[in-house]
Amino acid sequence: VSTASTATRFASEFRAICGAEHVVEDPELQPRNILGIAPAFAVTPGSADEIVAVLRFANELGLVVVPAGGFTQQHSGNLPSQVDVLLNTTRLTDVEHYDPGDLTIGIGAGCTVAQLSSKVAADNLFFAADPALPERCTVGGLLATGLYGPHRHGYGGLRDYCIGVRFVTGDARKAKGGGRVVKNVAGYDMMKLLIGSWGTLGIITSASFKLFPAPRQTRTFVSEFASAAEAIAFRNRVVHSPLDPICLELVSPEARGLAPGLGSGPAWSICLRAAGSDAVLARYRSELGTAVSREVEGRGEHDLWQALSDFSPTVSERHPHSLVISMTLPLGDVQPLLDGLAMVAQSHNLTLATVGRVGVGHLLAAMWPAAQGEVTPANFVNAISELRNRLPRDVSMAVLHCPTEARDQVTAWGPEPAGLGSMRAVKLALDPRDILNRGRFLF
Amino acid sequence: MNLPEVVGHLRKIAGHDAVLDRPEDLMLYEYDAGIRKSTPGAVVFPQTTEQVSQIMRLASSVPIPVVARGAATGLSGGAISQPGGIVVATSRMNHILEVDVENQRAVVQPGVVNLQLSEHVSHLGLYFAPDPSSQKACTIGGNVAENSGGPHTLMYGVTVNHVTGVEVVLPSGEIVHFGGKAAESYGYDMTGFFVGSEGTVGIATAITVKLLRKPEKVATLLGIFESVDDAAQTVSAITAAGITPAALEMLDGWTLRTIEAYCHAGYPLDAGAVLLIELDGLREAVEEQAEAVREVCLQQKAREVRRAKTEEERALLWKGRKTAFGALGRVSPSYYTQDGVVPRSKIPAVLRHIGNVSKKYDLIIGNIFHAGDGNLHPLILFDIRFPDQLERALKASTEILEWCINAGGSITGEHGVGMEKRDLMSVLFTEQDLDVMISLRNAFNGDDVLNPQKLFPTPRMCREITGPAQNPVLVQEGM
Repeated sequence: VSTASTATRFASEFRAICGAEHVVEDPELQPRNILGIAPAFAVTPGSADEIVAVLRFANELGLVVVPAGGFTQQHSGNLPSQVDVLLNTTRLTDVEHYDPGDLTIGIGAGCTVAQLSSKVAADNLFFAADPALPERCTVGGLLATGLYGPHRHGYGGLRDYCIGVRFVTGDARKAKGGGRVVKNVAGYDMMKLLIGSWGTLGIITSASFKLFPAPRQTRTFVSEFASAAEAIAFRNRVVHSPLDPICLELVSPEARGLAPGLGSGPAWSICLRAAGSDAVLARYRSELGTAVSREVEGRGEHDLWQALSDFSPTVSERHPHSLVISMTLPLGDVQPLLDGLAMVAQSHNLTLATVGRVGVGHLLAAMWPAAQGEVTPANFVNAISELRNRLPRDVSMAVLHCPTEARDQVTAWGPEPAGLGSMRAVKLALDPRDILNRGRFLF
Repeated sequence: MNLPEVVGHLRKIAGHDAVLDRPEDLMLYEYDAGIRKSTPGAVVFPQTTEQVSQIMRLASSVPIPVVARGAATGLSGGAISQPGGIVVATSRMNHILEVDVENQRAVVQPGVVNLQLSEHVSHLGLYFAPDPSSQKACTIGGNVAENSGGPHTLMYGVTVNHVTGVEVVLPSGEIVHFGGKAAESYGYDMTGFFVGSEGTVGIATAITVKLLRKPEKVATLLGIFESVDDAAQTVSAITAAGITPAALEMLDGWTLRTIEAYCHAGYPLDAGAVLLIELDGLREAVEEQAEAVREVCLQQKAREVRRAKTEEERALLWKGRKTAFGALGRVSPSYYTQDGVVPRSKIPAVLRHIGNVSKKYDLIIGNIFHAGDGNLHPLILFDIRFPDQLERALKASTEILEWCINAGGSITGEHGVGMEKRDLMSVLFTEQDLDVMISLRNAFNGDDVLNPQKLFPTPRMCREITGPAQNPVLVQEGM
């Protein structure tokens, strides 16, 4: 936004659309920066129609818009080339439909995951997503980033239980996909495109989800192993057994310190969370046998799993100069990837901590400077590129968090995903002027 | 290029014996399991991805419409050709390319029959979860196109929940790969978008699917009720009790008597309705849930709850369910199957509505459906030799689907929109919702060469293609 007079004109346009109290101008926006770049305006529309008006205006004037929810993942992605308008979805919190008997809910994108979870918990229902920082993470942000927590193992991902979505495309068309019933194949599956699109195709205004009956009781069985290989062997045993846990999480020795109740020491842990009656839990006990060193329940169990969900923000808080990488991969690649991570971290003088949903193929790895020796931004940059070169086929990787000094030399996404040309075609169809999150995603 | 020339090119691409163009052969390819018909100009049987690519390149250059066809068991007209168009039949692309036990994946060609895959990996303790009633015949390519379901989708989801990667030939002839063996990957979920696009985006030539571990224990129960209403209330009560069965099917009295006369599944002849309920998983959990389901049924006025004691008894109960359509073929010259969905709490109300529609149009309507997820399959019986009966059947069907939409539901849960429900899309979706979807179709299939006149309401087909690329970066990178 070049001059003061155009800035004033833009501000008055946004005020006319959203109401004066929902428009904020620089310089108050410095704290809401996107990877160091402060937006010129922040708008908080109260409806999808207001978003249409904002985006129409942005298209006409070529303004870059960054959608925002609870600001829990805005440190991710590539450095944006330009940020003009921060578009907050936090006023979109209406419940569209909720009948506990249907086990579905439709809710505004600005509602937080914690609010949604507590609303349905009152009816003994359960929203399966367990992202980091649920008190801040919004439904819209959850879908846009497509990130997930340990429940991914037993309940599937967002693509499995998001059944409908309403959104405004980059070129300001208000649209929807899916609906509010649990089984529905009418029309293109817009949910799939928007989940994990990092706000580059459209701004999600509300979504419908399948809910689950809340488990009556759960128990966490913690097992400890001398090496990653032994832990993975145990994972294989569980995956090929009749057991059906809701979470199956690997925790590396350095990651144990980030989760309360796991203790310290050099062991690799696998935390297995089961739901069911006393008889079902007894069956787990007998199947797992002596591999289990301890059982956790109640408050301790709740805190342990929240800490595992919060792994990424906890690392960045404790180690400001840290790297957090998220990887999805086939089950058979977990062990070689763990070996590769260890080698890369060691050769660049970085401490490595890893957690992961090893039963479905998702790992989070954090690296920060080791206690001894010198670490420069180049260590992080080289560690990332070396890791990329080592990745087996079918492994996908994203840098979620990166030290500020290394940021401008690091690409957040890569290796290049299969079907990139088709992804570009989709982007062009929905956001032809590339106004949404320009430069932050794949292209 | 005229049709004989196109046929000549097709023979060069796929082989002389891989193309049909005689009228008597083409007649076999003019219908699917729905009620529409249209005769193609040629049928080609490619054996490789490269051949599919050459066929698409040829068709786009002519241009001549193309439709991919598996076993044509679909009920929505998805595999019906345009008159004189090309049918790409996948029946010679029927190889299981890879079974990867460690990663619990299989890679298959589109013409592999659904049940064959499960049989092929059965000795490994694995199976492919989507189980349409036509699973003995339908192909996985067709399942991908229509995003097919089946009874067990209640717990396990439809086809899209079981596909992690797909190799696709685009209308331009370009071969692209979406996803892979990982459950998810960064970037747009093109696999998820492609599944269920009803053959309007590209033709799948290889599909990576999840294989699930067979459950340790399966319990199959038959709840017998005096009335449809009691059975319908029980469906809600089971869900409210926090039980998620693997399958929860309902058959009304008329339908189960018709089936019983045909295949002797052991259904009670004097019942108002039955629920076929299956639970699977860990032994202890299944036993508890089976007991809980029995209690709920009895509380909801079930006359009796039977449980299959042997695998043979279980198979017999399912045989009745899965051969229902064959049974109906014996009592009516024609029938029309619908696929509406309602929120689960609306099942009793929608069944009462269907009863009224049946009276209003003076047609028998049987109900056999996936009650657990609210996916109805009203079977409207008529005689196609009498045009007024067909017309009444279509009206009755529309009235039922409109009721579903008004109740917050959908016009299709697993059969797809195809030809038959395309005009109802504008009741379910707004003009702009459809406009967004069409802009996506045009991004891949802008000339509408691939499966034209499907999925979207007819008048829209003449719309112009959306404008050219405006972002210089995207243009530069080859778009």
